[in-house]
Amino acid sequence: MTKENVQGAGEEEQQAQSKKALKKQQKEAEKAAKKAEKQAKLAAEQQETDEDDFAKDRYGICPMVQSQQKLDRALVRVQDLTPEKAEQQIWVRARIHTSRAKGKQCFLVLRHQQFTVQALLAVGERASKQMVKFAANLTKESIIDVEAVVKKVEQKIESCSQQDVELHVERIFVISQSEARLPLQLEDAVRPEGEGDEEGRATVNQDTRLDNRVIDLRTTTSQAIFRLQSGVCQLFRDTLINKGFVEIQTPKIISAASEGGANVFTVSYFKTSAYLAQSPQLYKQMCICADFDKVFCVGPVFRAEDSNTHRHLTEFVGLDIEMAFNYHYHEVIDSITDTMVQIFKGLRDRFPTEIQTVNKQYPSEPFKFLEPTLRLEYKEAVAMLKAAGVEMGDEEDLSTPNEKLLGRLVKEKYDTDFYVLDKYPLAVRPFYTMPDPNNPKYSNSYDMFMRGEEILSGAQRIHDAQLLTERAMHHSIDLEKIKAYIDSFRYGAPPHAGGGIGLERVTMLYLGLHNVRQTSMFPRDPKRLTP
Amino acid sequence: MPMYKVKPVSPADIKIDLPTCMYKLPNIHAQGMNCGEHALQNGEVDPALKALEERQDEVLRRLYELKATVDGLAKTVTTPDADLDASTLSRGPAESVFRATADLDSLLGKDLGALRDIVINANPAHPPLSLLVLHALLCQRYQVLSSVHVHSSVSAVPPPLLSCLGPRHIDSYARQRFQLGFTLIWKDVSKLQMKFNTQSMYPIEGEANVARFLFRLLSAEPQDPVLATQMDCWIDTLRSLNSALGRSPWLLGQEFSLADIVCACCVLRAGQTTSAPANVQRWLQSCQNLGHFDCVYPLLQ
Repeated sequence: MTKENVQGAGEEEQQAQSKKALKKQQKEAEKAAKKAEKQAKLAAEQQETDEDDFAKDRYGICPMVQSQQKLDRALVRVQDLTPEKAEQQIWVRARIHTSRAKGKQCFLVLRHQQFTVQALLAVGERASKQMVKFAANLTKESIIDVEAVVKKVEQKIESCSQQDVELHVERIFVISQSEARLPLQLEDAVRPEGEGDEEGRATVNQDTRLDNRVIDLRTTTSQAIFRLQSGVCQLFRDTLINKGFVEIQTPKIISAASEGGANVFTVSYFKTSAYLAQSPQLYKQMCICADFDKVFCVGPVFRAEDSNTHRHLTEFVGLDIEMAFNYHYHEVIDSITDTMVQIFKGLRDRFPTEIQTVNKQYPSEPFKFLEPTLRLEYKEAVAMLKAAGVEMGDEEDLSTPNEKLLGRLVKEKYDTDFYVLDKYPLAVRPFYTMPDPNNPKYSNSYDMFMRGEEILSGAQRIHDAQLLTERAMHHSIDLEKIKAYIDSFRYGAPPHAGGGIGLERVTMLYLGLHNVRQTSMFPRDPKRLTP
Repeated sequence: MPMYKVKPVSPADIKIDLPTCMYKLPNIHAQGMNCGEHALQNGEVDPALKALEERQDEVLRRLYELKATVDGLAKTVTTPDADLDASTLSRGPAESVFRATADLDSLLGKDLGALRDIVINANPAHPPLSLLVLHALLCQRYQVLSSVHVHSSVSAVPPPLLSCLGPRHIDSYARQRFQLGFTLIWKDVSKLQMKFNTQSMYPIEGEANVARFLFRLLSAEPQDPVLATQMDCWIDTLRSLNSALGRSPWLLGQEFSLADIVCACCVLRAGQTTSAPANVQRWLQSCQNLGHFDCVYPLLQ
């Protein structure tokens, strides 16, 4: 490239630059002009507002509540707004679910947990234009305190949970403002799947929900699900305590993998490493050998299974039972099934609102069960499957599709979603399962199913150190690693059996949901570690 | 010119641990195709598909045969000059009603080594008294595993209904030791329903029909078609009870039968025992003396 060309280019550049500069100047001028215009407008409006605002002290943004004062004000919950409170003037704290301005009126829907109520703010002698404008501009999800008069309505408000009343707002203050852009819209999050596709409206997919779990948990459906789950836990505890069980807590940091080496998390433990417990099996049994007779424990269970399915998590809450029995392990099955039936009955009787709320977004058949629980034997199940055209061996384990088919067959014949399958073949069970006394090919073990999916695996445990050693060797397990376990049975051990369920899975199947992440508050799976 | 050789990045055979919880698909890259795949390539039909087609043809053929039989029967019945005149048929010797155990396999299907369970769904507001009597008779004939369940559609059931099949059998923990299962479920149903083999049998509805099925298990069905039709008549209607009982001790003659069971239960349930005519009362007393009705009386309160 020659010098002349460079010079020419330089000149062009300069020209271009000046052109650019010109353009830039023009733009800035425009901007300044606009700004000035806006400011003038604002000033004019400000004047306006200052002039006419007689309601200035009846609305506004409160300073951050730092416990400046202790107000003795009673706040009524949205849940309690019923026609009995008509004409009363009350204070309510709730979130803004939606707000819609229409000329001189502003309609707000206020929400607290599962309940919503309509609130109305109209320009009149109590409210000024500026106040209505302020209310209409409040961001969704902001928490507000509202003083209002409860009014009965003639026509039911179908879209709210409190259908017979509405609030006529007198005062409105913001306690905590929300940012304007929400990562997901709550109306979309509660929309049933089918409806979303039909009307072309959005629904929120699972990953978005889980990434913004705090907001997703605010939806009416999530509130209902987790209240019901809390009920499951409580009913489990109450029923077992009434049966004379003792609650125990077992360690989660352990020295050797309990179920099998493959699916266990390792943690560094000072100079060595330790494992996170896959189940409280070992310690439950040691408690029985320590004469506690009937124990249960509620705690986390860690399984390092790299399965990305709809029903597996890497961490979940396990509800485990272990019980010493007198002569036959069916005493334990009866106890466990009775506990489950009490849980189902309790949920049916105490949480009908919650079940209904969940069904609105995720419709499903109500859960059916028999009392006492139906118990079928493995051979009967194989016969039923064979009659339905499935080819399988007598001692083969049930595959997941076969389990689901069996669930449907049992539902057809007995009309129950919950049943026990007893006497599994010995070959497919863990080494500590007691073999059947009359037929060495079978074992004293059982599985329980809800809606065709397995929720509990249990058995009579071998309580004889000799037999346990034999069975462990048969399964090629390193005896050194389970020495402490075998030792616990050497000083007199009662015959015992038990089993464990997963809280999330039971809630999911009871409600007829399809993914266990919906019933786990902050789920953990191979791909998710936060929130 | 020799080309550059690159060392292999990964070892030739990598051991992969396949997860056990997911569905397995057959390996489409398997070495050495078997003849099945050859056949597919040649345009022949997959043997499994062929078997399915054969089954379908078989089912259709049986349907046609059945249709032909029904048509034939309809013709013989509806033509005015029917060949068969029921009244001229001589009554066969009245055999004893309860003979040896029936061939369960022929009635209930092949024994696949598991308990054959009969499921009956009944409404607790209308307990099926006749079925309870039949259950007692069945227990005398076979080893029956009886159980009573309450369905979740019903909130509470009075205690007598829970123990209506008698005390729990000592061996009830070993289901395989029994020949027959009798599962009674108290459920919110409009009509009594019986299910046995849901794959091959349609559910039977109505107390009378279920009673007929259970009676057949007792091999007590009279072989004589005349008696059989008479029995059916009695099961379904309740007319001239007194006059019929005036002529013979039991409804069908000299032997106690299903008709007596069902009718007695109807009368007892209607609660008109004290105002019933003399013959009916005597007949009810005889039923009670047989002892089969003991399970029924506690439920009548």
